[in-house]
Amino acid sequence: MRRVVLVLLLVVAGCASPAWDDADYGRKAGATAEAAASSVALVRLAVENEAKLTRPYLQTLLTETVTALDSVDSQFGAVQPPSRQAVEVRAEITELTSEAAEQVQVLLNEVRLREIRDPEKAVADLAELGDRLRAFAEEQPS
Amino acid sequence: MKRFFAVTLGILTAIGGFVDIGDLVANALVGSRFGLSLAWVVVVGVVGICLFAEMAGRVAAVSGRPVFDLVRERLGPRAGLLNLAASFGINLLTLAAEIGGAALALELATGIDYLLWVPAVGLVAWLVMWRVKFETMERVFGLAGLALVVFLVAFFALGPDYGELGRQLVHNPSDDGAATYWFYAVALLGAAMTPYEVFFFSSGGVEERWTRRDLGVMRANVFVGFPLGGLLSIAIAACAATVFLPQMIEVDTLGQMVLPAGLAFGQIGLALVIFGVFAATFGATLETALSSGYSISQYFGWQWGKYVRPREAARFHATLLVSTIVAVALILTTIDPIKVTEYSLVLSAAALPLTYLPVLMIANDPDYMGDRVNGRLSNTLGTFYMILLLVVAVAAIPLMLATKAGQ
Repeated sequence: MRRVVLVLLLVVAGCASPAWDDADYGRKAGATAEAAASSVALVRLAVENEAKLTRPYLQTLLTETVTALDSVDSQFGAVQPPSRQAVEVRAEITELTSEAAEQVQVLLNEVRLREIRDPEKAVADLAELGDRLRAFAEEQPS
Repeated sequence: MKRFFAVTLGILTAIGGFVDIGDLVANALVGSRFGLSLAWVVVVGVVGICLFAEMAGRVAAVSGRPVFDLVRERLGPRAGLLNLAASFGINLLTLAAEIGGAALALELATGIDYLLWVPAVGLVAWLVMWRVKFETMERVFGLAGLALVVFLVAFFALGPDYGELGRQLVHNPSDDGAATYWFYAVALLGAAMTPYEVFFFSSGGVEERWTRRDLGVMRANVFVGFPLGGLLSIAIAACAATVFLPQMIEVDTLGQMVLPAGLAFGQIGLALVIFGVFAATFGATLETALSSGYSISQYFGWQWGKYVRPREAARFHATLLVSTIVAVALILTTIDPIKVTEYSLVLSAAALPLTYLPVLMIANDPDYMGDRVNGRLSNTLGTFYMILLLVVAVAAIPLMLATKAGQ
């Protein structure tokens, strides 16, 4: 009964719920990768169309994305991996989401200073990272 | 000619004033995840709001009193208090979301963190409510909100795949489960039928001293202005479905929601849409704050309204001030305004019967309405909607818990 109440409280509070087994942990890792891939795709779209957007807008959009990626990372980080195999899954997804946060942070710094130095390279890098995130998500149990 | 101008102005104001932070968030979010497969909910919501707004406007024009002035008299103090508590709480949450939305729009325009704008938005809103005439206030922000028409034009400029969008109308393109689909259906209905709209429309009618002669203009505003406002809502969803859905981008911030206008028209489109979002959310800030004052004052029988001097309606103005301060304080806790909006929509949906049942009852009461009681069509539709709203109210909270608020 206490366990049910605890789970219910966590769900209501919007906190990360525990993973019961490897499959459950994999599903959560997949959802994390999907969320990160969505953020990366958005930034790629914005960078591709940088000339059409104002600097304050782009700065706000990138700031929001960095915050979103940090939040995705910390929410998944709060889930305890139930096995050694899950620890490996965690290492893989954490590396990908950290890379995403880092790439967007670099772009944000460039926008704050003046403008994105090499938009074409940034778009290509983001596309490649997005593909890896989607591929990771597809490998996980649905 | 003068009457034509008045009707046109009223309709334009109704279109611009229809969209608020709830409509923006719900439609963009749904468009990016479910395409146009939930557009039917907007249609159901617009028919519902037209139906009940017409009743509320008719009550105001015929009896000279807003609907919620009559709730306590008609339902008794206990039922009236339950109604007041639910509607006031949701209204306050909506007010906080609107203030957050206006501050976020300013952040998009300037790059300065929205939290720094929140107190300024609250202060200016209070000054406007204190100093500016009701009609001027309603017209200026309603008309400025028309800038959101850029979403409609952007949709065509983006070159959408009409065949795919047509398929989405009858087929849900998302892999999300049925519970998530229905959770967002409930949120969209809550957005289209937000309770404060009826409070404001009804009390606004008294502020503008409507009489039976104004029924035609009132109906034109409702039956033309609101559906066109609903069309804007669908345009927001359609833009999101065109830009974000094919790239599997799920939007969850205001900055993301306005991107389609920038992609379609560049910096001018972006400036217009940000201006429109600010006007819509700031206008809704005024409407929700005033609705808080209206509901409390009308329940306790205090002098209310902007048609009297602030000194003569001191408790009404004190309520506006306190509500604004509480809403500003809530957003300053750094709670995400978009999350506040999402929760306020679902809680609004859960409380819809409390708002709309009294409207239906009073619009049928010959003691107040004389020969202007509801006709057969209004009552048939009204009864259908009450059953629908009861189902929605029962399902709203369980769906929110089951889907972790749509995650």
